Amino acid sequence: MGFAQYLAAREFASNTGQPLITYIFIIAMLQLIFAIMFLRGKHDRYYEYLIKCLYICTGLYLVGFIVIIFFHIQIYNTVLIEYPAGLQLPVESNRFAVPLWIESEKLYFWAMVASVFALTIKGRKELLSFLGIILSVFSSVVFFFSNPFKEPLPVVHGEITRWYAAISGDGNVYQIAGTLYGRITYYYNSTYMWTHPPMLFIAYASLIITFAACVFMLFRRIRDYDEIAYRYAKPGYILLTAGMLIGYPWAIEAWKDAAWWWDPKISGSIMMWVLYSAYLHARIYVERGKLWRTTALLGVLCFVTLVFTYLLTYIVPGIHSVVQP
Amino acid sequence: MKLKNYDYFLVVLTTAILFAIGIVCVYGITYYNYLASVPGWTETARYLQFINDMNSYLYPFLVLLLISLGLCIPKRLFEQDILVKISALALAVTVILTYSLGMETAVGFILAVITGIQGIVLILTFKKSRAVRFEKEGHIARIGSSMLHLGIVVLIFNFVTLRENQLHIMIFWAGTILVTAGNLFSFFPGRVGSLLKR
Repeated sequence: MGFAQYLAAREFASNTGQPLITYIFIIAMLQLIFAIMFLRGKHDRYYEYLIKCLYICTGLYLVGFIVIIFFHIQIYNTVLIEYPAGLQLPVESNRFAVPLWIESEKLYFWAMVASVFALTIKGRKELLSFLGIILSVFSSVVFFFSNPFKEPLPVVHGEITRWYAAISGDGNVYQIAGTLYGRITYYYNSTYMWTHPPMLFIAYASLIITFAACVFMLFRRIRDYDEIAYRYAKPGYILLTAGMLIGYPWAIEAWKDAAWWWDPKISGSIMMWVLYSAYLHARIYVERGKLWRTTALLGVLCFVTLVFTYLLTYIVPGIHSVVQP
Repeated sequence: MKLKNYDYFLVVLTTAILFAIGIVCVYGITYYNYLASVPGWTETARYLQFINDMNSYLYPFLVLLLISLGLCIPKRLFEQDILVKISALALAVTVILTYSLGMETAVGFILAVITGIQGIVLILTFKKSRAVRFEKEGHIARIGSSMLHLGIVVLIFNFVTLRENQLHIMIFWAGTILVTAGNLFSFFPGRVGSLLKR
């Protein structure tokens, strides 16, 4: 086991996943067309095609996820970091247990869960068509900007490549081993990394449906839409709250005295959470006066802040961010 | 004011306060982004100043939120007029403490008061006391609502005044469990009830 086997697994993941994600993109485009045609013409035939596309897309997403799981297992099995004896680092941190929702895989994971949730909606054809449009756009974004199979896990790959180059004599083994130890212990293999992000992504996926239902609630004041929005807001809010809270002890453990208090991503997350709390609070009196409109508007605004909070990593510098000033 | 109108007013007020906290967060993001134009600014005293500034913008809304939580849950623990007067008094003491001993002490005071009230509410709810009335029907939903509110207050208390305390993380987990269980009990009382019966 070693670098050659790791490279073979990476190539396999890329070669298998690329056609899959291309099919997802093509089916998503068909899904978009059928959704628009149904919303315009209300022909049940288009709706049936749309449902078929949704099922196929979700199935392909799940198959792709199995490929991702296989690749991650192979990373764990093939890459072994043998720390120099002088460093006296624990052996628990010498293998990469890479979570399934990092780098370009996180958007894929979110889109996959959202597709699964969309299939659980019953009854409202218009709402599902609107969700079909949202999911098609989402799949396109994944295909063009966050394709996990185009160049699988570039950062992890860079770290593994540098390690094997260093032990072959090209680089400072001690320095690279020290860096890798920190990354593996506090990031990849951390229990928090295996719980905090997936809880948030599953919450986000659930809250997409709340958003779509709130949009419909704004235009057509039908009680059903509010019920659907609330039904998906409940698990979304629970996971959002618990997921965010779990990040706190992790920040203390991994960042210690680093500057993370009032970090933009954290501020954004608090903003998102208080707005979802406001939405759920306002909903208690949804039947009263014009509060149904306020509630629906809040539901839409909450989702805008959710997307904004997600994008903060890429647009504003901070400890969570990939951009620097 | 009729109790129904009073409840409605409290829900609108809480929603408005939560919205205001959201705006403070937007300001925090913009402010951070502006300050980050200077490389390495988080290693300077400017970062501490930023933290203090942001805390001082947040705390007044936090106090209002705590007051509204205090008014919201134990509606019949006291007479409505007495409750409003107690809240006004607590707010006045908080304002005086802010100017005399600093904002953290003042927030600590109001947090201690609200934690006490929420704790009593939770006990009364467990005992099925008629003194506490809720918007949500059902015993499990009521317990959930009490746990959720107590959990939120405990977490805020912990973040604001107990950051350096040895029990900080333990209290954090207690608050997290209260909030998560409270959410589950409030949102899915039927399922939780049938699980508890097994």
